[in-house]
Amino acid sequence: MKKLKISTLVLALITSASVFSADTIKIGLINESTGPNAEAGGYTINGVRTAIEQINKRGGLLGKQVEVIIEDTQSSNPGTVLAFSKLGGDKDIVAMIGPIRSTQVMAASPTIAKNAIPVMIGGTDPSLTHVNNPWVFRCRPNDSFSSRVIADFGVSTLKLKKWAIVHSTDTFGTGGKKALEDALKFQGITPVLTQGYTNNSQDFTPVVLAIKKSGADIIASYMTNSTDVGILAKQLRQLGVTASWIGSTSITTDTAITLAGDALYGTYGVSDFTPDANAESKSYSAMYRAKYKIEPDVYSGWAYDAINVLAQAITNAKSTSPDEIKKAILALKDFKGVEGSYSFDENGDGLSGYNIVKNEAGKIVFNKHIQFAK
Amino acid sequence: MDLANNLQVLFQGLALGSIYALVALGFVLIIRATNVVNFAQGDFAMVGAYVLVVFLNQLGLPYWLAFLLSLVCMVIFGLIFNYGVYFPLRNRSYLPVLISTLGASIFLQNTTLALFGAQPKLLPKVLNFDGLQIAGVFLDSQYLVILAVTMCCVIFQYFFFEHTLLGKKIQATSQDKDMARLLGIPVALMIAVTFIYSSVLGGLAGILVGPILFVSIGMGSIIALKAFAATIIGGFGDVKGAIVGGLFIGVVESFAAYYISVPYKDAYAFAMLFVVLIVLPQGFFGEKISQKA
Repeated sequence: MKKLKISTLVLALITSASVFSADTIKIGLINESTGPNAEAGGYTINGVRTAIEQINKRGGLLGKQVEVIIEDTQSSNPGTVLAFSKLGGDKDIVAMIGPIRSTQVMAASPTIAKNAIPVMIGGTDPSLTHVNNPWVFRCRPNDSFSSRVIADFGVSTLKLKKWAIVHSTDTFGTGGKKALEDALKFQGITPVLTQGYTNNSQDFTPVVLAIKKSGADIIASYMTNSTDVGILAKQLRQLGVTASWIGSTSITTDTAITLAGDALYGTYGVSDFTPDANAESKSYSAMYRAKYKIEPDVYSGWAYDAINVLAQAITNAKSTSPDEIKKAILALKDFKGVEGSYSFDENGDGLSGYNIVKNEAGKIVFNKHIQFAK
Repeated sequence: MDLANNLQVLFQGLALGSIYALVALGFVLIIRATNVVNFAQGDFAMVGAYVLVVFLNQLGLPYWLAFLLSLVCMVIFGLIFNYGVYFPLRNRSYLPVLISTLGASIFLQNTTLALFGAQPKLLPKVLNFDGLQIAGVFLDSQYLVILAVTMCCVIFQYFFFEHTLLGKKIQATSQDKDMARLLGIPVALMIAVTFIYSSVLGGLAGILVGPILFVSIGMGSIIALKAFAATIIGGFGDVKGAIVGGLFIGVVESFAAYYISVPYKDAYAFAMLFVVLIVLPQGFFGEKISQKA
């Protein structure tokens, strides 16, 4: 059913493209529509669609309607690079929404630089905006902030000192692990265990046993896939680990919560998108629920913000030339989005804070927002 | 403490190994019957799990009925697969059939994605309790079921092939199609039966592992890769080998992950593949190359 809606949307876009071709502003969406992350990709399209419909209802941008061109990454690095080169060939596309996966942004970074149009990304590996690529703008807080928030919350609020870090071995997971180790060192703590695993592990027993042996009283995790979170959560509880757990965003996703059930009750997560964190996210969530009959999550939320940030930048620039849009994005100050307040620094990082949320009997409850100066 | 941990690791390894073994069995049966590796074998598991999701979660049938209906569906699915993917190419060399199964795999995954969406589905455990806690070792009830079912399958398979006429006919077909045909064995039918049986085995693996790994589009491919390694380690095309190979991979990767390093877990299966191929080029139970020629 969801697929049907997406294909209708694509169809509608194709038809609208042929009707208004000269009178629209085209934004490319590099999306994981198929492959293992297709679920998240579906949500991303929801978020983009919601934002664009709103903008077009208000009369579009610079007097033109906005249109999205979706290109599939097949949830893979080569697919992402291919998608960027393909959309890069369409000279009518003024900006793009890129992947939420750090490893894919990393892979496509040279292509993004070659395309030389602004790309809004959701990947949170800090290094992505520090590789001298002037066209990458991050619409989520990066992991140096999430790790500082995790360390700060665990040490100052929960008052726990024996940390075990569990991380995926991909770009996101290792980046997060590194940042968290630094943040903990700043708090004077050396983790008792740092344990990596590869995505789509079927069995986490060795990880759980290592945690058990280490005697950790708090687990901090940087996990990429929600299914992995689900499996780890169940095995942790089965093997009797009762340590507190504070995880990166994947622990707060709808999928992880549904799959893990009571195994995740009482855990904390950092989340850049929380439905009830601020006025913008509250109104967005109400709209989203009414429209799609599901809970909004970060995959739709960040993409909604990315489109709105772009739209604001294009409006401010009064132009669709890539250089003007770039300048306008960097000049944005305190632009209110659903993930928080956007003020871009010179690297292209828009946000610098995270929400702490708690899983209370399967409901994600906003706990506190921790904001850092850049 | 450490004995308990070791037993825990052994248990998980055996349980996952059983799943590899079930899928590997399906591989082997089709290899024997058609000389072709069925690249869609892992997707049989995925299809089986999704069919159960439909009967159980969407139609709300009781478990035993949903389970039986799922197996019936896998029978029909195997038949369709045989006539749609293998039969039209039966007189060609192995390569077109191989590519045909590869195409079927892509088709199945994307059809499932289109029908069910990408959100992974949850299946309840077969038994109504989470597991047993014995001397510090947690035995997940679903893993216990998996071990039991695999054991039953192995016993059934033995009786079926060694003590029934149908089983012997299938064996004859796999050993020498022309000779079997001369003896009046309906070869095409025997191959169809093989596909049906493989489909049911694959579906069973998917249904059993669904509550643990969750039901998702990619669930089959992860298992199939290991199962394929198990098939080769056990001896390409050997039934015993598939089972031993599957359990072997499951146990070794569990222990290696526990004692050496978790991130390389997936590499161990293939590292073992190298070692076995160098030391025992025919695998554990494989026939000698000279016999094959």
